[in-house]
Amino acid sequence: MDHLIYLYGLIPTKEIASQPLPSLKDFEGSGELYTMEIGSITAVVCRLDADKYSEDQIKERINNDMEWLQEKAFHHHETVMQLAKIFTVIPLKFCTLYKSEESLKDTVQSNESKMTEAFEAIAGKEEWNLKIYCDDKQLKEQVSQNNPAIEEKRKEISELPRGKQFFEKKKLDKLVDSELEKEKNRVSEDIHAHLTEFALKGHVKRTWSSEVTGRKEEMTWNSVYLIKKSDVESFLEQVQQYEAKMEEAGWKFEASGPWPAYHFSSFA
Amino acid sequence: MSSVRETIENKEVGLIDILDVILDKGVALKADLVISIAGVDLVYLDLRLLIASVESLVQAQQGNHKEVSSEQFDKEREGLIHATGQPSKW
Repeated sequence: MDHLIYLYGLIPTKEIASQPLPSLKDFEGSGELYTMEIGSITAVVCRLDADKYSEDQIKERINNDMEWLQEKAFHHHETVMQLAKIFTVIPLKFCTLYKSEESLKDTVQSNESKMTEAFEAIAGKEEWNLKIYCDDKQLKEQVSQNNPAIEEKRKEISELPRGKQFFEKKKLDKLVDSELEKEKNRVSEDIHAHLTEFALKGHVKRTWSSEVTGRKEEMTWNSVYLIKKSDVESFLEQVQQYEAKMEEAGWKFEASGPWPAYHFSSFA
Repeated sequence: MSSVRETIENKEVGLIDILDVILDKGVALKADLVISIAGVDLVYLDLRLLIASVESLVQAQQGNHKEVSSEQFDKEREGLIHATGQPSKW
C-alpha cells in the first residue's frame, strides 16, 4: 500500500533529544505520530493512505465536506498546539503532504539554514492575536454629537426647506459614517502602536465581515504579535486596561493565545 | 487568583480563528501535494451555514419541529452567496 507523509511541524533536533515526543493521535485517529530526524531538524509526521488522500480527494472534501474540514482542522491545530507547548515549532500549513520520507528529507535539507533562523526568531516567544470590535451604533452617536463639523451641518440643514433636507441628510449620514471609520482607525492604530512596544513584532491582519464572525459588532482591528514569554503578562494587562477604559463607549477587546508562531516563522 | 494569561489561555478558540491560520498562514513549505484553497472567506461562510444548520437542527430536536432538509440547506447557502455577492465556486 502506498502512503503519503503528513507534516505537522518542524522542531530543533536538540530539543527533542532531551524531551521525547508525547503520544499523539495521527490524522485518521487510529495511529500515532512519529518523528523523522533530518540533521539538526526533526519533522513530526504521520502516514496517510495514498489512495484515500489524493490532491483531488482532499480538495473535494475541503470544498464540500465541512464537517470533515472542521474535524481535521481542529486535529491539525490541536496537534501543533501540543507540540508548541513543549518545543520550539515551525507550524506547517494544513495538509502539507509528501509522497515519501525521501522527498520530505530533501525539502527540509534544502531549507535547513532558513529553518534554523526561523527557530532562533521564535524560540522562547509566543504569538498572540488581538481583535477589536466596535458597537457602531453607539460610536456613531458619540461621533455625531462630538464632531463640530457634523453639528454645524445639522444646524444648516434644519434651516433648509423640507425638500432639500432629504438629500442633505443623506449627505450628512455619509459624513458621519466616514468620520466614524476615521475615528475607529485612528484609535485602533494608536492602541496597536502602544501594544507593539511590549512585543518584538506586530503584524496587522485584515478584518472580517460580520457575516463571517456572526457578531453584531463590527470587527475594527485584527492583529498578531510575537511576544517574549516573560512580557506576555504585561501585554495582556495593557489589553485589559484598554478594555476597562473603553468598554462603556462601545469597544470590545478580544485577545487569544498563545498560538504556535503561525505568522512569524515563515521563511519564504 | 488566576492571571490574565490563564483566563485567556483557557478560553476556547473559534474554528474560524483556526482556519485563518492553518489554511492561510501556516508555513508553506514546498510539498508534493499542493492543496490550495480558493477563498478562505468562502470556506468561513460555508462553515457559518453549517453551524447555523446544526443550531436549527438542535432546535428542531428540542421540539421546535423546524425541519432542516438538505434542499433548504442548499437554498440558504445560495441565498448567502447571493447576499454577499460571492460567485459560486463549489
